[in-house]
Amino acid sequence: MLSRNSIFRKTFLKFLWIYQKFFTYFSFGSCRYYPTCSEYAKIHFENSPISTAFYHTFTRILRCNQLFEGGIDYPVIKQIEIKPAKIKLEHIKYWLVPNKKNHYYIIKNFSYKG
Amino acid sequence: MSPNQRLMVAVVLSIVFFSAYTAMFPPQQPVDTKNDIEQQAKVEQEIKTTKTVEKVTGHEISKSQKVESRDSNIVTTIKADDFILKLDTLGRIASKELLDERFRDSEDLHAQIIPDKGAKPLFIRFADESLNKEALSVPYVATIKEATIKDEPIKVTLTQKLSNLTVTKNLTFYKDGHYDISIKMSQNKRYFVYIGHRPEVSKKLMAAAGVLVYTADNVAHIIEDGDADNRETFRDVLVASAFDQYTATIFYNLDKDITVIVDGDSEKNPVLYFDSLGDVTFKGYIGPKEYKTLKAIDSVLTNAIEFGWFTFAAKPLFAVLLWLHDHIGNWGWAIIALTLLVRLVLYPLTYKGMMSMQKLKEISPKVKELQEKYKGDPQRMNAAVMEMYKKHGANPLGGCLPMLLQIPVFFAIYRVLLNAVELQGAPWILWVNDLSRMDTTYILPILMGVSMYFQQRMTPTNFTDPMQEKVMRFLPVIFTFFFVTFPSGLVLYWFVNNLFSILQQFIVNKQFQNAKDLKEHIEKKKKSEK
Repeated sequence: MLSRNSIFRKTFLKFLWIYQKFFTYFSFGSCRYYPTCSEYAKIHFENSPISTAFYHTFTRILRCNQLFEGGIDYPVIKQIEIKPAKIKLEHIKYWLVPNKKNHYYIIKNFSYKG
Repeated sequence: MSPNQRLMVAVVLSIVFFSAYTAMFPPQQPVDTKNDIEQQAKVEQEIKTTKTVEKVTGHEISKSQKVESRDSNIVTTIKADDFILKLDTLGRIASKELLDERFRDSEDLHAQIIPDKGAKPLFIRFADESLNKEALSVPYVATIKEATIKDEPIKVTLTQKLSNLTVTKNLTFYKDGHYDISIKMSQNKRYFVYIGHRPEVSKKLMAAAGVLVYTADNVAHIIEDGDADNRETFRDVLVASAFDQYTATIFYNLDKDITVIVDGDSEKNPVLYFDSLGDVTFKGYIGPKEYKTLKAIDSVLTNAIEFGWFTFAAKPLFAVLLWLHDHIGNWGWAIIALTLLVRLVLYPLTYKGMMSMQKLKEISPKVKELQEKYKGDPQRMNAAVMEMYKKHGANPLGGCLPMLLQIPVFFAIYRVLLNAVELQGAPWILWVNDLSRMDTTYILPILMGVSMYFQQRMTPTNFTDPMQEKVMRFLPVIFTFFFVTFPSGLVLYWFVNNLFSILQQFIVNKQFQNAKDLKEHIEKKKKSEK
């Protein structure tokens, strides 16, 4: 089960928020991927167990260099918890696209309004 | 927050950081209230067996010290090519002056390693309070008054005759700055031998200073100024050192069961001493933490060189730099060679990156089209642009990993420049006469800024966010200001790094242009043949 509000999770998400707000100016928009490493990390930390999130974020950063092609690379998650209170288009944050058994690509909904 | 506001915050933050840094940079010798006796009395001494608590009377000496001038109580003066060492009537090493021109303090005098105030090395304090009182009033007598070390070491014996105890310190001083000592007591009394407070020759922001205890399990326990909250005890100590940026007062060759104690004074600055009963023999070193000197004396001493929490990365880097310096002979050129080395390691990455950047130039009209199409929606635009790159096998961006990798290299060099005494006063060429200090002529930081500007100009970039482009253009200016106060060696590293990347970019651009010209030429020929 995913403990959504653990201190760890919150801390990392806060850290990523600060990074995205301020430090991306100094990191020159260097990421070779879409979504960027920080966005990818954020989605994982929001939706995966902490250890999984760490693992994926770490390997993603390792892959983010000139020896890899880069480009589109969506995070894949395993567990899903769907308890939507509202199901209008603008309330949906992520689209889940089935990948293999029990695994889903998680893709941002551009129409999400919070 | 709008991008504009965020940029403002980023700029303000950098300015705040920069001004704070400059304000703190000229190494301020801490105003020494450290030895305020009343406060000092608060420091308490645990007695192992009984757990009784008593005052650290060791610091009360500073009461009498306040009236005395530095020289008045000197019993022995020992001179060598590199230093003048003095012993006083309390049986302590009262001062050690370094004669090397590189070591000058803020008033341009020869550096004094032993701080004027504070607990001094070889001071003995007894656990017995009344004995202690007597010891403070009875002066030590020395066998020689003055001596100069040529090649042979010099032996001095200090004796203190108390009413029912005689303390003898047999000292042998060597030319290279170390000494042997054996302390003999006519009766078994429990006492403490001080290394004392750390030297105060130089302490810059970010450079660690305090106390280091290196134990047999290969762990360096470091207690920095202000961190000595509790008393800490260590057994099996190989090296005990009180250090500042470049110098250290060290005890080594201590007996295995000796307990080394780190205590905090009123400002939580560490004070180092060990606990002893009866006779004791060990060795000491007072002087600069020069790798080769320390290694020549005893290789265990090199463990006293530390680069703060970043030692794990800085130490190997320092080893490489030292090796380069052995072959080149100048620290400036050694840094340049190091830059070249780092670039060679990263060459496959950067070359690949640069080639794919060139491809980008060719598809840039199409990218512009996409940017027009998704104007108000940066996220969707990014996705589309990425798709486009993938289709053409081009990716302009270096990636997060190379960016993150640069940070530790950069920081390790910073730590080495900050902590390695070898780089203190090390010149490069022309106006750069001290790589460990900021360039007072501002030439290097400006060169760095200019080279950065040109490097950016030469690099084909592609920003989806106009705001980001503005920041990028502004970045060389911000960096120049950042670098103004940095050690010249670090600025040199970054400057040369920029030059190499400009050169590499230039070659790649040229190759690409040649290949393109050739292609066009062949196509033209084909046409004319038809």
